[in-house]
Amino acid sequence: MNPVDKVSEITLMNTEMFIVLSPILLLSFGIVLSLLLIAWQRSQKIIALFSQLILVFTLLLSMHLLSSGILSGAGVQITPLLKVDQFSYLSLSLICLSALAVISLSKQVLKSQVEVHDEYYLLILLVILGAAILVASDHFASMFLGFELLSISLVGLVGYFREQKYAVETGFKYLILSACASSFMLLGIAFIYSQTGNLSFAINSATAPWHSAPLQLFNSIGVLLLFSGIAFKLSLAPFHFWAPDVYQGAPTPITLLMATVSKIAMFTVLMKCCFAQGYYQNDHFIDVIIAVALLSMFIGNTLALKQQNIKRLMAYSSIAHFGYLLIVLVISAEQSIGFAWRSALFYLTAYLLANVAIFSIVITYEQYFSQNSTEREVCLNDWQAMFWQHRAQAVLLVFSILSLAGIPLTMGFVGKFYLFNQAVISQSWWLITGLVIGSGIGLAYYLPIIFTVFKVNSSAATHITKDNAIKAPKIFIIFLIIISFYFGVFPDSLSQYLL
Amino acid sequence: MMLTLIVFGLLLSGCLAWFADNKVLLGIKLQAKWLSLLAVLVLSCCFLLLVYCSEKNFQQLQLFARVPWIRSFNIDYALALDQLSITLIILTFFLAVICILVSWQEIQKKTGFYYFNLLATFAGILGVFCAVDMFLFFFFWEVMLLPMTAIIAVWGHEKRYFAAVKFFIFTQVSSLLMLVAIIAMAYIHQQQTGDLSFYYQDWLMLDIKLDVAQYLMLGFFIAFAVKLPSVPVHSWLPDAHTQAPTAGSVLLAGVLLKTGAYGLIRFVIFLFPQASENFAPIAVTLAVISIIYGAKMAFAQNDFKRLVAYSSISHMGFVMLAIFSFNEIAYQGAIVTMVAHGLSSAALFALAGIIYQRVHSRNLTDMGGFWQSAPRMGGFGLAFAAAAFGLPGLANFVGEFLSLVGAFQVFPIMVIFAALGLIGSAIYAMVLFQNTFQGVPSKLVEDLSLREICICSSLLVSLIILGLYPNILLRYSFGALL
Repeated sequence: MNPVDKVSEITLMNTEMFIVLSPILLLSFGIVLSLLLIAWQRSQKIIALFSQLILVFTLLLSMHLLSSGILSGAGVQITPLLKVDQFSYLSLSLICLSALAVISLSKQVLKSQVEVHDEYYLLILLVILGAAILVASDHFASMFLGFELLSISLVGLVGYFREQKYAVETGFKYLILSACASSFMLLGIAFIYSQTGNLSFAINSATAPWHSAPLQLFNSIGVLLLFSGIAFKLSLAPFHFWAPDVYQGAPTPITLLMATVSKIAMFTVLMKCCFAQGYYQNDHFIDVIIAVALLSMFIGNTLALKQQNIKRLMAYSSIAHFGYLLIVLVISAEQSIGFAWRSALFYLTAYLLANVAIFSIVITYEQYFSQNSTEREVCLNDWQAMFWQHRAQAVLLVFSILSLAGIPLTMGFVGKFYLFNQAVISQSWWLITGLVIGSGIGLAYYLPIIFTVFKVNSSAATHITKDNAIKAPKIFIIFLIIISFYFGVFPDSLSQYLL
Repeated sequence: MMLTLIVFGLLLSGCLAWFADNKVLLGIKLQAKWLSLLAVLVLSCCFLLLVYCSEKNFQQLQLFARVPWIRSFNIDYALALDQLSITLIILTFFLAVICILVSWQEIQKKTGFYYFNLLATFAGILGVFCAVDMFLFFFFWEVMLLPMTAIIAVWGHEKRYFAAVKFFIFTQVSSLLMLVAIIAMAYIHQQQTGDLSFYYQDWLMLDIKLDVAQYLMLGFFIAFAVKLPSVPVHSWLPDAHTQAPTAGSVLLAGVLLKTGAYGLIRFVIFLFPQASENFAPIAVTLAVISIIYGAKMAFAQNDFKRLVAYSSISHMGFVMLAIFSFNEIAYQGAIVTMVAHGLSSAALFALAGIIYQRVHSRNLTDMGGFWQSAPRMGGFGLAFAAAAFGLPGLANFVGEFLSLVGAFQVFPIMVIFAALGLIGSAIYAMVLFQNTFQGVPSKLVEDLSLREICICSSLLVSLIILGLYPNILLRYSFGALL
């Protein structure tokens, strides 16, 4: 298909395209409606409920589209900018799920403030819209659009509680570094354009310049710059320096948003771009990926070792996890693309559930501290003896930690099993070595968390007794436990959707 | 089906023990220890019945269950038994009863959760011994690790967290290497037959190129050598054994180490016969080093449990030596040694627990002269020490003798060195006995109670029976290699 044909298609958006695009359209329409809603009546309850409603409908729509089979096969191209396939909407569903969790957790946090926080929810919806554009994009322009929408809304959210200690620092740090990253990315895109004359992902890889001719300098620099921009968002080493500080300083629900929504969306678009452009055939690019992956596994895991602050610990652990996940980009043949998608999505689902669980527990503790007017961050020691006081919550925590550590009975293990399969198929022994050693180091900080939870004596300074504790909603906890256990033991029930 | 019920029955009764602990039902106060003892006894009877009533010939693996589990990877839930696994499962059940009796009074806090962990570990070990789908095997291999770590970390002694983390990391990292080898095998199967398969029996048919096989064999070997443990990957064991509560040590030494030996036999030797034969000189050298090093380290220890732990390294060296000799006599010796060591080390650890309860110390310098106040304990102590250094008439002698005789035909020089380990074992066993029971009486200790006599005498009786009439084990071939 040459570009001219595509242009003629743009003018005509047929019904099928509308249907396929409907979740994203609904999301954008919802954002406009919520703006109107704010103009009409400022109420935190209504706006929170309304945004949840929008997200639920988006989720249901994308699930419906997934099951209807419209998306099977190569996916639907909607203008040169967007291309929706089942993987995009699987990611979108994950994103909506985690956004729902973020909103319901935010409601708890925002309760304690006096103002009406309608812009907060609006910004979250904008982040989700950015993520949705990212997962659907098939063009560097739309990718950049989504990237910027996501970043700028996140900057607003990161420094949202402006009276808090780290708010300004965190906001600025994120703003400046994020702007740098996007300018690098833009430069990279420009370099790529200068060589290929095309901004679409899906250029014919047979005529791709790096495929036939010797690699051109500009093109490889362009790809490298593009990758570094994305790697910043994924907080891969050596672009990880912002992660612990921003994770720590941001409001905890927003930390969760950054850890899940932004990363899932960026990773999806990275995979789309790499597979469509055929970067996996380029040995130099693969070398870079392997180096970054190994570095991230190593740095993330070692820096987490002595960490006492839970949010910082989660930042380091997520650096390591996205290092592991890079394994799916290293594929040997086009046939394994499907398997790579399945591995990535399964791993991301496991990562998402574990993160939602851990951050929701962090939030319950933070809430407790702020109620007792000892506003401070949650440290590892605060979780002492949790198992003997809040059974369900502790079981959930232990499950999520085990899932992150990749121990059987949890989804994390199956995710890791997928990654091992992927690495064995592509015979990348370096990555396997990194994965094994990284998991080993990882245990050295995951296990102490579990031991702390099981500690019998509770001489901790902040001893939360049973009656005055704030509980996360019990149904939510039990639901998460059952889900992660069920998918961990019967992964088929999830992976059949990933076909 | 029945086998599945037994494995999951253990897990379920663990849950039951946890939730029913200290609840009152029909006017009886339920106690986790009684519930778990009952469960283990009932389930072991079920298992014996299952084995006796089935008409199958257990010389080969007999399949008991095979249902698809994870279809996207063609993974089955498959359980099978043969003579080797039946022997080890019976040992596991026997030691399970011992473990529960040993912790009868020692464990006072969080009893419900304790017995849940104990039973969950047994369930995992049982699963390891009968899984024939490699993914399932790996699954159980890891699952048995979690409750064991919890036992060390919650009910252990002063440095328990360190020991638990070390134990877990050693086992986990090595088993990830095994996981890589397992996955690689599955894809080799796919290359040769077109289907992904994790099924053990399918793998036996594979014809793997020697250079590939060597790497895969190494993946399995490292995982099992860590569990066995063999020098140079043994260093988790002294810490874990020392810090674990008594039942934990009994369990570790008695059964968990045997899973390593079991894996070596079933997976390393049977799946990669040629590659492991090429590897044998290295493995045997490691085994001999373990034997001598373990014995040497053992008699330098001041800590009762640490001493026994190092002696375990020494004894398991004999097992590895025998396994890699590819000789029928040695192979049988390996199996007898496994069972005998399971019993004798369990006995010594139980004794350590009994003494710890009385003097609250594991340090040999705090002990001495216990014979005067506790002659029965001393008698058992002498017998168990004698078992450890291989006194004829006790099971260990038969096992070590057969191992050495068999291995001598293949590696004569190595065996001469290995035999030196026997002298070492005599020294450390006597050091242990003298420091504890002889010399100037330091304290007055209570003699054994009825429960403790039951524990000790049942272990001693089985050691004597196996020592005097080893044909109980020797008449089976255990799917011998030759």
